[in-house]
Amino acid sequence: MTDAAVDINGVEKRFGDLVAVRNLDLRIEPGEFFSIIGPSGCGKTTTLRMIAGFEDPTAGRISVGGRDMTGVRPYRRPVNTVFQSYALFPHLDVFENVAFGLREAKVGKAEVRTRVDEAVTLVQLQGRERSRPRQLSGGQQQRVALARALVNRPEVLLLDEPLGALDLKLRTDMQTQLKDLQRSVGVTFCYVTHDQGEAFSMSDRVAVMNHGLLEQVGTPEEIYHRPASSFVADFVGTANRFAGRVEGVEADRYSVAIDGVGPRTAGGPAGLTAGTPVQVLVRPENLQLDGPVADGGTGLDASVVDTAFLGAERTVRLHSPMLGELSATARGSGQAPEQGSRVGLSWSDADAWLIPAADAGP
Amino acid sequence: MNVRRHPFAAGMSLLVLLFLWLPLIGVAVNSFNQQTIMAGWGGFTTHWYGLALHDQNVRTGLETTLYIAVASALLSLAIAVSGALWWRRASPKARAVYDGLIYARIILPEVVSATALFFLFLKIHFTLGLTAIVIGHTVWNSAYAAIIVQARMAGLDPALEEAAADLGATPWRTFRRVTFAALLPAIIAAGLLAFTFSFDDVVTSVFLQGASNTPLPVVILGMIRFRITPEINAIGLLVMLFTVTLMSIAVLIYATAGSLGRSGRRGNMLDIYRGR
Repeated sequence: MTDAAVDINGVEKRFGDLVAVRNLDLRIEPGEFFSIIGPSGCGKTTTLRMIAGFEDPTAGRISVGGRDMTGVRPYRRPVNTVFQSYALFPHLDVFENVAFGLREAKVGKAEVRTRVDEAVTLVQLQGRERSRPRQLSGGQQQRVALARALVNRPEVLLLDEPLGALDLKLRTDMQTQLKDLQRSVGVTFCYVTHDQGEAFSMSDRVAVMNHGLLEQVGTPEEIYHRPASSFVADFVGTANRFAGRVEGVEADRYSVAIDGVGPRTAGGPAGLTAGTPVQVLVRPENLQLDGPVADGGTGLDASVVDTAFLGAERTVRLHSPMLGELSATARGSGQAPEQGSRVGLSWSDADAWLIPAADAGP
Repeated sequence: MNVRRHPFAAGMSLLVLLFLWLPLIGVAVNSFNQQTIMAGWGGFTTHWYGLALHDQNVRTGLETTLYIAVASALLSLAIAVSGALWWRRASPKARAVYDGLIYARIILPEVVSATALFFLFLKIHFTLGLTAIVIGHTVWNSAYAAIIVQARMAGLDPALEEAAADLGATPWRTFRRVTFAALLPAIIAAGLLAFTFSFDDVVTSVFLQGASNTPLPVVILGMIRFRITPEINAIGLLVMLFTVTLMSIAVLIYATAGSLGRSGRRGNMLDIYRGR
């Protein structure tokens, strides 16, 4: 087994009484685009700062490329950071900003030239070498920050909400560029953001943190469709959750009794036993609306509270006497269900996922 | 305020400007006056400038003043910069005390601090003279310098220093290439300001001079007591031009230095220091 790009082992970080990160174990593989997401204050930025060396863990150990980083100062670590504020040096031009790390590493003049040129070309800023940071747009400053970090060929590039200050359109463009860039340079990226969409669109794997605890690590698909907790289910998207109880286990699926619905089957994490209270998760896009039904029908139904047109799709808010508030997404250009009408509801068992209720939030 | 509608304010402003500028214009004109008693205009001459520049008292006074001003400015900068570096990491309480001490030095009448130092030096048998004057000037000069340097330091984004460390710069290199480079406009401005204040000081110098050479402003004071000649006007004009030039440079550097945040504003005097 090769060494992990970053190996975080039982790390805890306290600031006085506040525990920012608790008992964190995380392994980031070489060449991976890895994201850490979570609400503000969840410990994601603290984790990144511990990898960079700006903060020392209170307990535990962090290794980069198999080498223990305990006690290693930031300027001796094989990682570079793209800061949220970019932190470009205002008194140096683009060329000198990018060359900063190479000059500190005492790289020869000719090589500095070549490598800075390469890095500037990589982020498409040719011709702006003599500009000052303040003469550049936000997107350009962002790219200088990227070039300044990548030019040092770090083993791991740490990115702290680098797109946070950009407007939506530019942010979407930069997401694509970042992903392409990561593929072409092959450097391990560790990306911190509170925006799950951003993380999902770029990452190979995502870690979700909350209150200093790691909730789940997995591919974006796993996180979205098979969340380990109701926090994860809610954080990465809208979730319809129904209370129920495990009835039995069949191969890798569970049979489950949903209150007010009856027996169904659903996927779920391994190890649930019969009788366990659970929540059944169905994503809005998997909840089908089956057209108007007559009053007093025997099927599962709900009344339409409200619909919102979002362009490519339509969000329908529903109220069901048995299941409470629901949300469904309808694609395509079909007729919107009329407000106040009653519609039939259904979902495929393959799209249902169980979350242990012990963990279920409010 | 519409000046035409407030004739009183307009009249007062005019008077203030007259009282401010008339004596200065008088000094400038009389420095070229051939008539020694300056009762009237006796014709144009640059004779007094030659006299002033060759006057041994004036020359010694100037040398003494330059020595004091340079020494006091450097000492003030050392205190201000190290203070500002400490200030960033200090607790809010310690900062409040430090800031209070700065303002106390500015508010305190100069004659009080000069008297206090005079008695202190006598008590501890510290010989009065140039060193005593330098210390006396540094008492208030360092306070002005500290305010200027600290204002710049407060605008310095700590992420810049983290970025430097992240890019492999040791703490000393980070200080040199980022922190010091960012503070440089403030350091230059504060240095020039301290120099200028020291250059035209009389009160502290008189108290702490002892048996040493006399600084220029005190020399001028002595000359006026003895006899007023156009030569004094010539010296006055030269001193005035010199200090006004220095002050202008200081103000210009401080006003045009770019901001330290993410997006700077106008020009950036940090250009004069390229960080290497």
